[in-house]
Amino acid sequence: MAVTEDRRRITVRLTVLQVGAVMVFAMLGISFWLLQIVQHAKFEEMAENNHQRTLALRAPRGILYDRTGQVLVENRHSFTISIVREHTKDMDRTVQLLSAVAGLDPNDVKAIVARHRSEPTYRPIVVVEDASLAQVAAITARRLDFELPDVVVEEVPTRQYPALAAHLFGYVGEVNDAMVASDNTLRSGDIVGQSGLEKIYNGLLKGEDGAKVVVVNSLGREIRTLDEEPPTEGKRMQLTIDYDVQKAVEDGFKGLAADGIATAGAAVILDPSNGEVLAFTSQPAYDPNAFAAGIDRATWNSLMSDDERPLNDRAIQGRYSPGSTFKMAVALSALEEGVITPDFKVHCTGSANFYGNIFQCWKKGGHGTIDLRHAIEQSCNVFFYTVGNMVGVDKINKWATLLGIGVRSGIDLPNEITGLVPSTEWKRQRMHEKWYPGETISVAIGQGAVSVTPVSMAVYMATLANGGTRVTPHLVKAVDQNDGKGWVPVPTPAPQSKVDINPEKLQAIRDGLWLVVNGAGTGHNAQLKGYDVSGKTGTAQAISLKGGRGRTEKRFQDHGWFVFFAPRDHPQIAGAILAENGLHGANAAIVAKHVMEVFFAKKEGRPLPELKIRGVEGSGVPTDNPNSPPPVATQPPTPPPTVTEATVAAGTR
Amino acid sequence: MFERRLYYHIDWAMLAGILALCAIGLAQIFSATGGFTRIYYTQIYGIVLGLFAMALCLTIDYRSLADKSHWIFLAVLLLLMYVLFFGVVRGGSRRWIDLGVVNLQPSEFAKAALALVLAKFFGDSRRGALRREDLAIAACITAVPLILVARQPDLGTAVTLIPVAFAIAYVAGMPMRIIGVLALAAVLVAPVAWKFALQDYQRGRISTFLDPAQDAKGAGYQQIQARITVGSGGPWGKGFTKGTQGQLRFLPVAHNDFIFSVLAEEQGFAGVLVTLGLYLFVILRALEAARLAKDRVGAYLVLGVLASFTFQVIYNVTMSAGLAPVKGLTLPLMSYGGSSMIATLAAFGLILNVRMRRFTN
Repeated sequence: MAVTEDRRRITVRLTVLQVGAVMVFAMLGISFWLLQIVQHAKFEEMAENNHQRTLALRAPRGILYDRTGQVLVENRHSFTISIVREHTKDMDRTVQLLSAVAGLDPNDVKAIVARHRSEPTYRPIVVVEDASLAQVAAITARRLDFELPDVVVEEVPTRQYPALAAHLFGYVGEVNDAMVASDNTLRSGDIVGQSGLEKIYNGLLKGEDGAKVVVVNSLGREIRTLDEEPPTEGKRMQLTIDYDVQKAVEDGFKGLAADGIATAGAAVILDPSNGEVLAFTSQPAYDPNAFAAGIDRATWNSLMSDDERPLNDRAIQGRYSPGSTFKMAVALSALEEGVITPDFKVHCTGSANFYGNIFQCWKKGGHGTIDLRHAIEQSCNVFFYTVGNMVGVDKINKWATLLGIGVRSGIDLPNEITGLVPSTEWKRQRMHEKWYPGETISVAIGQGAVSVTPVSMAVYMATLANGGTRVTPHLVKAVDQNDGKGWVPVPTPAPQSKVDINPEKLQAIRDGLWLVVNGAGTGHNAQLKGYDVSGKTGTAQAISLKGGRGRTEKRFQDHGWFVFFAPRDHPQIAGAILAENGLHGANAAIVAKHVMEVFFAKKEGRPLPELKIRGVEGSGVPTDNPNSPPPVATQPPTPPPTVTEATVAAGTR
Repeated sequence: MFERRLYYHIDWAMLAGILALCAIGLAQIFSATGGFTRIYYTQIYGIVLGLFAMALCLTIDYRSLADKSHWIFLAVLLLLMYVLFFGVVRGGSRRWIDLGVVNLQPSEFAKAALALVLAKFFGDSRRGALRREDLAIAACITAVPLILVARQPDLGTAVTLIPVAFAIAYVAGMPMRIIGVLALAAVLVAPVAWKFALQDYQRGRISTFLDPAQDAKGAGYQQIQARITVGSGGPWGKGFTKGTQGQLRFLPVAHNDFIFSVLAEEQGFAGVLVTLGLYLFVILRALEAARLAKDRVGAYLVLGVLASFTFQVIYNVTMSAGLAPVKGLTLPLMSYGGSSMIATLAAFGLILNVRMRRFTN
C-alpha cells in the first residue's frame, strides 16, 4: 500500500520535473532566439565595433619649394603619444604613470584629456606630439608589460620648417572647435594651417587623410589590417620666394642685430614687373617647428609675453610712419596733377611759415634753391612742405593710393591690415571735422596720420619702378595638382590698379632716387656699382605716448626705412626694408645692398656674396633638428611701436 | 560482479549524448584556446579519466555504494577540510589539492557524495510520510559540505549542493506546504542576506547584472560582451574558429565559464539548438532512469546527481547569454576542467548504474 503510494507520488513528481525541464529548456531556446535572430543585427554591429578600428592615417602636407625648386618646407616622421580611453580602466592611474614615464606634467595631460572628453572613446587623444625617442622607448616598454594598454604610439608626418621666413610659412596646429563647427570637412584633431601660407592655402596643402581598418583584440592591440586607404599627400607648391634672396634678407637682419642696430623689423622684396614676392620677413621670428610638434605651454607663454611680439607679422600687420619715403608720392601727385614741373624749384632757408606755424627743415641753414631731383636726394622738407601745400591732401591721397600706400596690397597672406593716407573725406568721417590746410604740411613729409605697412611700401616702390602698375604681391608660382600634369603655373593676379605715369615726370623722381644712393644722399650704403640702385631712406621717430621722446632708450629710437628698386631704368627688383628702432634708414640700406648683391649675383651666375657684418651666421638651410631654438632677441625688450596712435613721427629727413 | 547481461541494459543512447556533448565542448575549447594547446590535451585526459571513473561507478552496484555512502561522504568532507588549510590558492580562493600532475577539486565530488548519502537517508526510511525531523537532518547533512565549500570561497559550487537536497527531498515527498514556506522565507531573507551575507564584490555583480551599463568596464563588461558574443552569432554562426569575440578575448575565460557563448558565436542558433537538445535529451533520459529505478534509493540517487547537473547547465547557459549574473559556474561536460569532467562523468556512471540494474536483485 505504502509502496504503491510511494511509487505514484514519485511518478507524479518526476513528471512535474520532466515538464519543468522541458519548459526551462524551451525558455532558454527562446532567449537565444531573441538574441541571435531577433537582435542579431544590433549585436553584430556591436561585435564589429568591438574588434574593428578605423584609424586615420594623417596625410603629409604639400611640400613648399622656392622659385628655383629648392625645398623650403617639407615633412619628417615624428611620433605621437596618445591615450585611447576605450581601453582605460583608471584614467588617473594612466595619467600618473604616463606622466612619470614620459616626463610630463600630470596636470597638462589631464587638461588635454578633459578638452577631448566629448569625443568617441576609441579616438586617440594626442598627449605628446613629436615625442622624443626616449619617450617612445619608455612607453613601448610599458605597453609590452601591459601597464599602459590604453596608450598608443603612432608615427605621423610632421611639418619641418627652415630657420627662415617663419611668418611667411606660418604654422600648423590642431584645429579648434570653432573651425570644426564652421567647416564640415574638418574633424576634431585635424592638423590645419593656423597662419601664413599654411592657413591661406590649407585646402591645397592639407591633402586627404587615409584610413586603415584593423582588427584589434580586447587589449586594443592590432591583430591584422582589413582594409587600407593610403593618405593623399597635399599639393606641392612652388613659391615665388627665392631662397637665396630670402636668406640674404634674414642674414641682413641678423647682421643688424649682431651690431646692436635693430632686432625687429620687416622686409618685402618684389619683382616689380609682376608682383612676385622674392623675399618676405618679419623680425624677430619664432620657430614654426615648435607649433608643428604641438607647442608646449612654456614656449607659448614666452612667445605671448615677449615685448617684441615675435608672433606679429610686421610686414603685413605693422603700421609705421613712412617718414621721408613718402615724399615720392607727394612729388608724383604734384607732377601728375600739373601743379609743378620737374624743374620746379623752392628756396629752402631751413624753415618755412605755413598758416602761421613754423615748419623746420632737418638741415639748419637750409638747402638754398633746390629742384625736385635734389629735393629728393637731399630729402628737403621745405620743398615738400611747399609742394604738398600746393597740391592739397586729397590729391596726395589719390596718388598715394594709386601707388599702393594706405591700401591693402592684396598679398595672399591672412590678416593683412591697411595703412592710412588721410584725406578731407577721411577726417570728416572719422572725426567729423573739417581738414585744415595746415595739416597737409605734415602729411607732405610722411608725418601726421600717414601710416603704412612694409608690404605696401614694397608695392609703392614696385609701382614707381614699373611705371604705374600697382602689382598684387603674391607668393605662389605654380601648383602640382597631383593629377599627373606636373607643375601648373598659377596665373599672375590682376594688378590692383593701373595708371599711366608720364615717363618724363617719373624719370625726374627716379633720378632723385638714384641720387639718394649714388649722389650726395643718405642711401649710399646701398650703392652697388653698375646697378643704378635707386632708393630712399626714411627715418621716423618713435614717441611713446607715456614716456617722452629720447634717444637714450632703445625703444624710443627712430625707425629706419629703406625703400628701393634697381636698376633705375629697367628695374628687376624692388622692396622695402624697415629696421624698427634702427636709428636711420641708412642702416636698413645695408640690408638692401646685400639683398641686391645676392639677387644680381644669382641672376648672373656669379658666386653669392657673403654679408660682411660681424656676427652673422651663414646658415639658413633647413636643419634636421626640429627643435632648434628660434632666433633669440639680443636686445632688451622694446614695446610694440606699431600702432599708429601710439607712434608719432617727427623731424624726418 | 559485472554480469554480462547488464551490458545490454546500459543506456547507450544517453551515453552517446554525453559523449557528443564532450566532443562539442572539446571542439570549442580547441577553437577558444587556439589549437592543440596544453588546455586541449588536459581536457582530453579529463574525458578519458572521467570515462574510467564512469566505468568504475558502473561496475559497483549502487546499493553497495549507498551502503557505504556515509564513509564516502566523510572522506569528501575530510578532503574539503584539507583543502581549506592546505589547498592551492588560485584566483583568490582555495579550491584545489595539488597532486603534482593534476589538481584535484574535491568540491566537484561533494555533489555526488551528497546525492549518495541523501538517497540512502531518504530511501532507507521505512516510514511512508516524510517527517519534519527528516528534513531537518537532511538540511544539516547538506549544510556541512555547503559551508566548507562556501568557505573556500566558492559560492557557485556551494549553491549547486542545494538543488541536490531539494530534488531528493521533493521526490521523497516533502510536503508542498513546506516548499511554500521555504520559498516565502527565501523571499524574506533575501534582503537581509543581501546586506549581511554577501561580499561587496558579490553585491556588485548582482547590481551590475540588473544594469550592466553602470559598470561597463568592470563586472558589467563580461555580461555585455556575453550578449554581444551570443547575439553576433546569428542563425548559423561565424564558423568554427572564426568567432571574433572569443578569439580576440573580448570574452574572458572563453574556454571555461563562457564556452557556451563561444559555441553560440561560432555555430549560431543552430548549434545552440542542437546542444541544448542534447542536454535536454540527457536530462530526460536520466529522469527516465529515475522512473525505472527498482528502488527509492536508486531513484533518489539519480535525481540528486541530476539536480546539480541540471542546475549548473541551466545557470551556465543563462549566464553565457548574458542573462544571469556572472558566476564562476562551469558548464558540465563542455567547460574546461579536469575535476569537473571526471566528477560529472562519474556521476553519470551512477545514473547508468541505477538504470542498468533495474532488473537485478
